Amino acid sequence: MRLLALALSAAALALAACGDDDNEATAGAGEKPRLVVSAAASMTEALESCGPEFQDATVRLQFAGSDELAAQIRQGLKPDVYAAANTTLPDELYQEGLLSRPVEFATNTFVLAVPNDADIQSLDDLTKSGVKIAIGAEDVPIGSYTRETLAKLPKRREQAILDNVRSNEPDVKGIIGKLTQGAADAGFVYVTDVNATGGDLEAVELPAELRPEVTYGAGVVDGAEQPERALEFVDQLVDGPCADALEEAGFGPAP
Amino acid sequence: MLRIEARTRLGELELDVALEVPAGDCLALAGPSGAGKTSVLRVASGLLRPASGRVECGGETWLDTERGVDVPPESRRCGYVFQEYALFPHLTAWQNVAYPLREMRRSERRARAQELLERFGVGRLADSRPRTLSGGERQRVAVARVLARRPGVLLLDEPLSALDARTRAAAARELEAVLREVEVPALLVTHDFAEAAQLGDRVGVIDAGRIVQEGTATELAAAPRSAFVADFSGAVVLTGTARGGPNGLTHVELDGGGAVTSTDRGEGPVAVSVYPWEIAIEPETEAAHGSTQNRLVAEVLSVTTVGNRVRLGLAAPQPLAAEITQVSASALDLHTGKRVTATWKATATRLVPSETKENQ
Amino acid sequence: MRASWFPVLLVLALATALTFLTLPIVAIFVDSSPGELVDALGEQGALEALWLSVRTTAASLAIILIVGTPAAYLLATRSFRGKAMVVTLIELPLVLPPAVAGIALLAAVGPSGILGGAVEAAGIELALTTAGVVVALTFVASPFYVRQAMAAFAAIDRTLLDASRTLGASEARSFARVMIPTAMPGLVAGTALALGRALGEFGATLMFAGSFEGITQTVPLAIYDRFSTQFDSALALSAVLVAVSGAILLSVKLVQGSEALGVAAN
Repeated sequence: MRLLALALSAAALALAACGDDDNEATAGAGEKPRLVVSAAASMTEALESCGPEFQDATVRLQFAGSDELAAQIRQGLKPDVYAAANTTLPDELYQEGLLSRPVEFATNTFVLAVPNDADIQSLDDLTKSGVKIAIGAEDVPIGSYTRETLAKLPKRREQAILDNVRSNEPDVKGIIGKLTQGAADAGFVYVTDVNATGGDLEAVELPAELRPEVTYGAGVVDGAEQPERALEFVDQLVDGPCADALEEAGFGPAP
Repeated sequence: MLRIEARTRLGELELDVALEVPAGDCLALAGPSGAGKTSVLRVASGLLRPASGRVECGGETWLDTERGVDVPPESRRCGYVFQEYALFPHLTAWQNVAYPLREMRRSERRARAQELLERFGVGRLADSRPRTLSGGERQRVAVARVLARRPGVLLLDEPLSALDARTRAAAARELEAVLREVEVPALLVTHDFAEAAQLGDRVGVIDAGRIVQEGTATELAAAPRSAFVADFSGAVVLTGTARGGPNGLTHVELDGGGAVTSTDRGEGPVAVSVYPWEIAIEPETEAAHGSTQNRLVAEVLSVTTVGNRVRLGLAAPQPLAAEITQVSASALDLHTGKRVTATWKATATRLVPSETKENQ
Repeated sequence: MRASWFPVLLVLALATALTFLTLPIVAIFVDSSPGELVDALGEQGALEALWLSVRTTAASLAIILIVGTPAAYLLATRSFRGKAMVVTLIELPLVLPPAVAGIALLAAVGPSGILGGAVEAAGIELALTTAGVVVALTFVASPFYVRQAMAAFAAIDRTLLDASRTLGASEARSFARVMIPTAMPGLVAGTALALGRALGEFGATLMFAGSFEGITQTVPLAIYDRFSTQFDSALALSAVLVAVSGAILLSVKLVQGSEALGVAAN
């Protein structure tokens, strides 16, 4: 019995160690330098696939809501690159002297996501009582796009939809999670997020006049450790392996 | 009448006992640790169910393994005093005593608890928590607690062993008084033969799960059936009155006649104790005063051979037991009725202060 | 004189630990002025978060105490085959990272979980509801209580129970009138630990119940929601949580201290 217990603990430790493959990030002499990239959660799959292809440095990615990442930079954290799901946040940081002049590198489509074969197929369907909706929190780009879109609707419909909101998630991953778990009936995300679920969810296109312009902006953080390589990375978000990866994921090209 | 029969295995110990205690009597089970003494009490109270056995008390059958009868502890009316008293630490003294009084109204419970505490001289401690009480005080509260519900039998587990030597004598006297008063059977266990002798009407020596001999303390000390009993039933206890004498010695007038000297200090009523093997037997001569050797003229009541030792039951006139070698016994031509002198050193004479009924 | 470097080393270690642990806490109160903190606290959402945290923590504590106390008593006083396994299972949530706890809850009683259908059929809604928050808090906090309670019951002198029974109290009565009061300091400590854990729970709650003001956004979730753009509000809520946790810890120490003093006076 004790041998079994020992074996189990050893296996558990080994698994835990395996799960952490960020460990190559410590740059020593003769190893590739490290590039830290703070990127919006909606770019998770795309950047994770193209990150390793970056030749001049080992790319270390961290994903979260764009607003959270901006707050970290304001508090003094210095990643090398900041890539957000809107242009507002990068512009603000630029004005505050914390970021280089932002580059618009991609666009995305704002959609309504529902489980496959759901009854909900339009914004109108969202006004019915008993529908549970998950959206982004106010300060995260996906949340502000959502509120911006809903504000374009007639007051009564906007209110009816907002009344059905049951969760303000800190990032798109949270919204997707609630949908795939069946906790929420509908959510507002980017089409790339729906694509990333590999078919578990379907995206309902919104009328063109309601759709917000979703433009992604990125820049080099002031005081970054690797400014030249950071600039290279930002450039190839527009044109390079990462640009390709983004396109494959469903992002639109730079405007 | 309390009747217990129990056979069961407890770890390495095979318990096999049978005993009877008439109402108003106290049977003291004396034996070394691990002999199974506490297990007998636990069987009696229902805390331990033996593989086979019977327990009857006051006409009620509490346990009968053959017929499948096993009354739970809370329904047997046992007054069990535990070795460390087991007072509930979160309750005051009076609340402890009132704990078993569930049928009464609250005001009555307090009154009855107070009454019992007064009776044991600790009435003023009614609102104190057990942790602030001394060992002797806790013992009295524990006894009061079991008497609150008028139990059908008293079970006492080493009632004096948790007390320091000074408190023990007073507590022993009090316990004796309680045992005399209650009209229910009492079963007491102890590792101290002298305690068993003092508190019990009869003593049973228990060893390795079996009662090896039962009788009065005097009988056991005078006529032990085995070397074990002989070794175990150690000191002889005489009662008398002490006063300080010359040279730092204490002179004790024994009740019923005779006198001894001790190097222990003492004043007033005392219990005198000496071990049988410290007593030498000589032919009868005049008792000499003032020497450091005690001499008592005694009549031989019984002669018992145990291995290569001889136990003598003597009357001096208080009962006395002496242990001498076979050789000495033969040389003295000992027989019942012969008068001899029992002699032992003043230094081997221990004094334990005690209280007589008059000055309690 | 030769070995005098050792005590110095000890002091240094303590000083480092103390600084490291207290600085972030002090910073919460110092980073912003008290006036700003109080203002931020008065904001509607902040008060709702506080009230929600209080309600959900109280509810989960109630469940934990009512179910956990007898369970802990059983584990502490009886032995049975497989007991070690049962104890390990009960303690498991202790070592689970909160995110794993969230996943576990979803997999069990989430809408797509193994019991999801049964839960729905019973008319109970857990995801995105306050009830779901209570479930998450109960799951992560109960081992903290049960473990302490077990230790407390196991430490009680068995003869107290024997005495109670010979004095006429059934085992149930003895449990209520003797075992619980005697184990009280340990039970209080366990409650405090569970309370602290429940108040601070974040990951499992977010994943299982979501984040919505007044319904599921407890204080930790509110802090997370606010820290990027309303830092003062986040600070204010953090300060309240620190104060409450500190008060809980202090009162436990006081209760234990008075018991210890009582024993020492013996």
